[in-house]
Amino acid sequence: MSLVVDKPKGRGLTASALLAPATIFIVISLFAPLGILFRYSLNDFVPQTKTMVEALTTVQYVKFFTDPYYVSALLTTVKVALISSISCLILGFPLAYVLARMQSRFKPLLIIAIVLPLFVGNSVRAAGWMVVFGNKGFVNASLMGLGLIHQSIEIMFTEKAVIIGIIAVDLPFMVLSLQSVIEGIDRAVEEAAFSLGAPPATMFRRVLWPLALPGILGGMILTFILAMNAYATPFLLGGPTFKMMAPVIYNEFTQKTNWPFGAAVAFILMAVTLSLTLVANLLIQRRSTR
Amino acid sequence: MTTRRLALNAAATVTLLYLLTPLIFVTWLAFFRQEIPSFPPEGYSLHWFAAIFDEPKFVSGFTLSFQVGALATAIGLLLGVPAALCVTRFQFKMRAPLASLLLLPLIVPGVVLGTAMYVFHVNLENTLDVDVLGTFYALVAGHVVIVMPWVVRLVTTSLAGVDRTTEEAAQNLGATAWVTFWRITLPAIRPGIVAGALFGFVTSFGNLELSLFLVAPGHTTLPIVILQYLEWKIDPTIAAVSVVQILLIAIAMLITDRYVKLARIV
Repeated sequence: MSLVVDKPKGRGLTASALLAPATIFIVISLFAPLGILFRYSLNDFVPQTKTMVEALTTVQYVKFFTDPYYVSALLTTVKVALISSISCLILGFPLAYVLARMQSRFKPLLIIAIVLPLFVGNSVRAAGWMVVFGNKGFVNASLMGLGLIHQSIEIMFTEKAVIIGIIAVDLPFMVLSLQSVIEGIDRAVEEAAFSLGAPPATMFRRVLWPLALPGILGGMILTFILAMNAYATPFLLGGPTFKMMAPVIYNEFTQKTNWPFGAAVAFILMAVTLSLTLVANLLIQRRSTR
Repeated sequence: MTTRRLALNAAATVTLLYLLTPLIFVTWLAFFRQEIPSFPPEGYSLHWFAAIFDEPKFVSGFTLSFQVGALATAIGLLLGVPAALCVTRFQFKMRAPLASLLLLPLIVPGVVLGTAMYVFHVNLENTLDVDVLGTFYALVAGHVVIVMPWVVRLVTTSLAGVDRTTEEAAQNLGATAWVTFWRITLPAIRPGIVAGALFGFVTSFGNLELSLFLVAPGHTTLPIVILQYLEWKIDPTIAAVSVVQILLIAIAMLITDRYVKLARIV
């Protein structure tokens, strides 16, 4: 269709010149490090001298799956990620719907209010939750002021605190991915369902839900991945005894300097996340081809 | 109909408040008079904002984060904008896989990326016999990896919306490829570039997982300074630091919104 006469040779050269720097950069600074990390995960480790020994062994992976401490860290991580992802969907849907159907000039401000928490960093948000959950924090002080409790309740350093924190971290991603899908659904489809006498719940179940399904699954996958890899929130709100995978990896590397095991845990986390994501992706494809 | 709308708006408001709760409370704490975060506050004061400057680590952390973010964004633009042009304007065999390769860093977990780069830097240091780990430029190189995908993604989206006939008209009138890019394409994709730069910069500025592994002890970025402080205690000083950060990012977003509607790009 192009009116410009294509000169294949020259264009090919231009294309490579444009793309090559970025591609080479990614290959060097993403694949090379991941390759080395994977190679290290097959090495052995001598705890007495804290040194890595060149080897070709799966002993690190076996260690992970035979030690209940690490298995429970993985299970906690998956559980927290699942709860967070589902909660994000339930909490995020109404806000995404209102946002998608909004016509007012305040819409950009609302978007900024949703994206701002995303950008201020997880530590800052964890600080906010610490003020709310602390021993003399807002929740405890309010409940005591109302006479509902007489002794402060422990919220900080519990799984609840971590889940509440992670949901808040992941909600913007869910809202934005739902919003973009709902915006693409013609309002007339909803009106049609209503004018045919469908109650709101039926309209939601039979019209909105199936049409928004790609966004729903996309948002759930995204929030699940983010929760699986959360570092700052479990570290700050979960305290020293609460174990999720990302803090475990950091700990193995920096505190115990056990690189082979840390590397193995990193790959286990990535493999578990990717395979669960892949399963969800297959589900989407099957739905959309039907 | 109205009750339904009311219920929907109420649910949406609850979620919005939930999202903003941590920011509201950390801001509130920054103005407390007493040091301990206990409710109700004994009074209000502004002096914690002055206290920020008594802690040199906050100032140096901010400076380092800003320098790393600015340089990583500049390099990310230099690498990412041409790459985005290539994957949208040229047809070739490996186009789709290469395009997704450029976005790959977005889905590799931060802590995995951090550990991988850490061992990579140690390896480089041993083979090349130069300082790599903990140096400023190694930290920047690490951050470029997470900045560039944002540039590629937002500029690609922006390019897809540009009408190609204008470019073709320019070339038919005798403009060279370079002049066409400079005079036609670049002005048209400026919003995408601004958005990519902003998202990239903010990603780098707020990054924790990657920096944790790549910084030298004693010379760290602001998010790490905040994390390490919070591990020890929560007080109005750290809240004041957070408020400054929230304000700066809010201003940056409001400015960006004037150039390019955030509603269209996020």
